Amino acid sequence: MNGRVLVAMSGGVDSSVAAAILRERGYDVVGVAMRLAPEPPAGSIRRKATCCSHDDFEDARRVAERMDFPFYIVDLREDFAARVIGNFVDEYLAGRTPNPCVMCNREIKFDRLWSRAMAIGADFIATGHYARIEQDGDGRRRLMRARDAAKDQSYFLFAMGRDELSRTLFPLGAMSKAEVRARARALGLRNADKPESQEICFVPDRDYAAFVRRAAQSRTPAPGRIVDSDGRELGRHPGVHHFTVGQRRGLGVASGEPLYVREIRAASGDVVVGRKSELNARGLIAEQVNLLDPELAGREIPVEVKIRYRHPGLPATLRALDGTRAEVRFASAGPAVTPGQACVFYRGDEVLGGGFIARAIAE
Amino acid sequence: MVRCLEKERGNPASAHRSGQRARRELERARERVAGLLGARPETIVFTSGGAESNNLAIFGAARAAGSRRRIVSSAIEHSSVLAPLADLEARGFEVVRLAPDRDGRIDAGKAAAAIDDNVALITLGLVNAEVGAIQQVAPIAEAARRARAVFHLDAAQAVGRMPIDVRSLGCDLLTMSGHKIGGPSGIGALYCAQETQVAPLILGGPQERGMRAGTPNLPGAVGFRAAAEEVASALHAETSRIASLANALLEFLLGAIPGLELNGPRLERVPNTLNLTFPGVLGESLLMALDLEGVEASMGSACAAGAVEPSHVLVAMGRTASAARSSLRISLGWSTTDEEIAFAAATIARVWRRVAAAEPITETRDSGVAETLR
Repeated sequence: MNGRVLVAMSGGVDSSVAAAILRERGYDVVGVAMRLAPEPPAGSIRRKATCCSHDDFEDARRVAERMDFPFYIVDLREDFAARVIGNFVDEYLAGRTPNPCVMCNREIKFDRLWSRAMAIGADFIATGHYARIEQDGDGRRRLMRARDAAKDQSYFLFAMGRDELSRTLFPLGAMSKAEVRARARALGLRNADKPESQEICFVPDRDYAAFVRRAAQSRTPAPGRIVDSDGRELGRHPGVHHFTVGQRRGLGVASGEPLYVREIRAASGDVVVGRKSELNARGLIAEQVNLLDPELAGREIPVEVKIRYRHPGLPATLRALDGTRAEVRFASAGPAVTPGQACVFYRGDEVLGGGFIARAIAE
Repeated sequence: MVRCLEKERGNPASAHRSGQRARRELERARERVAGLLGARPETIVFTSGGAESNNLAIFGAARAAGSRRRIVSSAIEHSSVLAPLADLEARGFEVVRLAPDRDGRIDAGKAAAAIDDNVALITLGLVNAEVGAIQQVAPIAEAARRARAVFHLDAAQAVGRMPIDVRSLGCDLLTMSGHKIGGPSGIGALYCAQETQVAPLILGGPQERGMRAGTPNLPGAVGFRAAAEEVASALHAETSRIASLANALLEFLLGAIPGLELNGPRLERVPNTLNLTFPGVLGESLLMALDLEGVEASMGSACAAGAVEPSHVLVAMGRTASAARSSLRISLGWSTTDEEIAFAAATIARVWRRVAAAEPITETRDSGVAETLR
């Protein structure tokens, strides 16, 4: 036996194959599905299934039965509401665009669920993320991009601590999605061809503004003004939680050339719009920064920075300002920078760290 | 039961010889099950189990109730009682849910005082499913008799764990479950005193004296009979053996786990279940960890999709939601041995220490979001 490993299972094909692979490698696998999203309001019409739906749990349970390992459902709804949904709502109220998946990894999977792993005597925790953890000759572990660049999810994992890297397994890091599906079929898993989940699991209808209104209730932002860079009012909007920096559609303002959201001023309720060229940033200030290599602190380091999950990456210079903040200067004028989103620093395939975007550094 | 599944294809309602043989088997089972309750065979209606018996008792008595519009029950009943009561409440019945004391006992005096000429039905669990408290029902039976109200006891948790006699209990209806006494699942019974008015739920045939249409579950009834025979012959000896094992386990755990609490009375209880509040841990977590070490426990209620709600019984008994979430039930059965108890005791103490150290209960920083989204 290689030790006991708690595998976080969603019922999807990735985490199912991850669990199956570890089982085949001789680990003492314990499968766990997390109940995270709150119940839909009583009496509401049955909505599109979320990733925590009963059917998904049944898929995960079938995999556990087929591969002969124990499986449990754990109820982490309260922690998820307090630490992930609460943050999601607060960020929108502050005029920013949160990334709850990063928060969920940091607060739930690698923190809350790790406590549960220790409670059941597990040595490791594993997920179906596409990312790799490599070990140096001197034992230091590095977080690396997945082999399959199209599926790479290392962006969502930058907040992991070094201790967490030493007790985490990503069995899919060297596999392509096609290989994972083929493996699932070979293992006879019935979810082999299940479609990917794309949306945020607790907002399955993708209507984030409606979700924020329902959760924030009396704290929901009031309607406000749409203004240009000189402060001229161009129109009205229903509340800052409807907007994201860089957004073009849905402004409801007629103009000769396309207008984009440039800045969201939550305090005054103003949404500032401008031409595309006005959005370009020289860099950004990041907060809640996690550096996986502490030797990087205090130096100027050339990195590649990703400012959104699907962003191809930009060459930049990283300088850690203090314990938790960093300045990133793009090598050339960059695209719109969206406060609240994660920015992740790479050197080649290695994740050096990351943080959350506090603000853009203007041109 | 296996012979019956293999050989007896006869329908007990048919006139041919295999039907007559089947009918004889069914009536033998009825006699044996009746004997366990000190009842006459013709008062036993076979059902699909405890839940159906409770539904038949409650809906059946309510439909036959005439102008009476009140039902007396308690806050700690099984969901197969609570759900029919909620349904009747939505249809205009007034439901009185008596609160238990801290040990899960219903005050019989208060219950009796709530019974008047407008009460159609009193429905109570004789033994609480979660904490094992035995209710004192004699004054309630007396009040029900005087008010001419129907008195139903849910004895699914009581039969096989204590002697039952429907005449000394003074009830009109009594629920029992086959699998709770070691028989097969899919069979149960409702004792229905002869003069008691109960409307059937399943219509369409004369089976079970018109109380439940449909071809009887003969293999189930035969298995039920075998379990009833075993209960009748070994109840006394097994009850005291299990009581001493449960006490030994409890004493050991009270010594090994500071702050451990037994939920339910120390004395007036059936001995097979210990409901324990484990300090500083989540029941869900302890349950998982114990299961992986070979000790099976259970929790208040967890739905199929894993949402854990604090036990309504413990909350009604005055426990906080957090204490209720830290509670597990350890059940002993007729097969439980001394060695298993020794193993369970050592394992529970060791695993509790690990869980408490690894995953202490922390108050979540509740942003209020969980509440508003509910």
